[in-house]
Amino acid sequence: MDTQSYLPVQPGVGMGENFLSLDDIVLSHERLPIRTECSFPRLGFLEKSSDSQDIPEGTKMELPLWLSKGLYEKKRRVLSVELPKVYREGWRTVFNADPNVVDLHKMGPYYYGLGSQMLHFDSPENPEIAQTLLQTFIGRFRRNMDSSQNAYNEDTSALVERLDCLEKALFTSGQSGLNNFQSWEKGQASQLTASSLVLNYRKRKITDIQP
Amino acid sequence: MDSSEVEFLAEKEMVKIIPNFSLDRIYLIGGDLGPFNPGLPVDVPVWLALNLKQRQKCRIVPPAWMDVEKLEEMRELERKEDTFTPVPSPYYMELTKLLLNYASDNIPKADEIRTLVKDIWDTRIAKLRLSADSFISQLEAHAKLDNLTLMEINTIRAFLLDSLNCMYKLRSNLQPGSSKGQFTDY
Repeated sequence: MDTQSYLPVQPGVGMGENFLSLDDIVLSHERLPIRTECSFPRLGFLEKSSDSQDIPEGTKMELPLWLSKGLYEKKRRVLSVELPKVYREGWRTVFNADPNVVDLHKMGPYYYGLGSQMLHFDSPENPEIAQTLLQTFIGRFRRNMDSSQNAYNEDTSALVERLDCLEKALFTSGQSGLNNFQSWEKGQASQLTASSLVLNYRKRKITDIQP
Repeated sequence: MDSSEVEFLAEKEMVKIIPNFSLDRIYLIGGDLGPFNPGLPVDVPVWLALNLKQRQKCRIVPPAWMDVEKLEEMRELERKEDTFTPVPSPYYMELTKLLLNYASDNIPKADEIRTLVKDIWDTRIAKLRLSADSFISQLEAHAKLDNLTLMEINTIRAFLLDSLNCMYKLRSNLQPGSSKGQFTDY
């Protein structure tokens, strides 16, 4: 049986994030194009292109998600977030037409996660974005299921490279179900094998000690 | 759940054997096992049958459904129907593997039986995937699947449940009013 001594914390549900989840932490490093609505005095060093001491109002720059979320407020207009191009109208029609041909890894390895987080920023297109995310997932589900449940003992890198991180996690769980069944069918499930912990410690075997 | 656990549960099924020793009734916690007389058939659980067979103390009688013609009929029926047909035994896959590994000399045409059972399994798994796909694409909340065996459910369980979790997350985005409150403050 496969027991883990460490269970990783899952990424958060929908628009929330789990503080301890590594996936969410890496996700929050993604950069978003924003436009400042008020000036930031003496923070000019953050933006490499301008040489002034403070950032004037109306500058377009890129900030990571964690900073944008923290600074965003509906009432006090500190900054306004623009949608990255993957979530805009043009790409949305591509996703609605055929979700299977898109390379989601290239579109940002966290397409679904970042899309869910973008809904925090009160864009008027929010319902369409949420709908597109859901429909893309459903459209790609069939192909993901077939590839993860049928690829046994093969090199799966060609199948996995076009998947987003969420889909990669699903792929691994599908593969583990398949491997478990196949190893049982071959009879390997009842064979005793040395535990990986023992092999890693490289304990001296009794045959080595005795002359 | 692991495949070995499903196999363990399958070993509780009863199978007929013909012992070559004699023994009075034995009283086990799970139930009594009838008196054993050489040459007379008796019903025992599979785990006992396999143990006795390995010690060469009995001969296993294949179950009624483990027959080439019957399995061929079942395979044709499975291929015709869109839904799942009733299975010969709720543990047909495990029993086939166990009995054919340990007692293939008592079972006629063992290889053909193995192939037929594998065909039936493949057809059912294909139907299961098809219904999982239509379940997800139509965003249903409930699905009713009759006549599924534990082993089939076990192979798809992890993937399907994780996908449904992801779908739930994405669907909760569609109702912004309820989930806005999950904004964690740092």
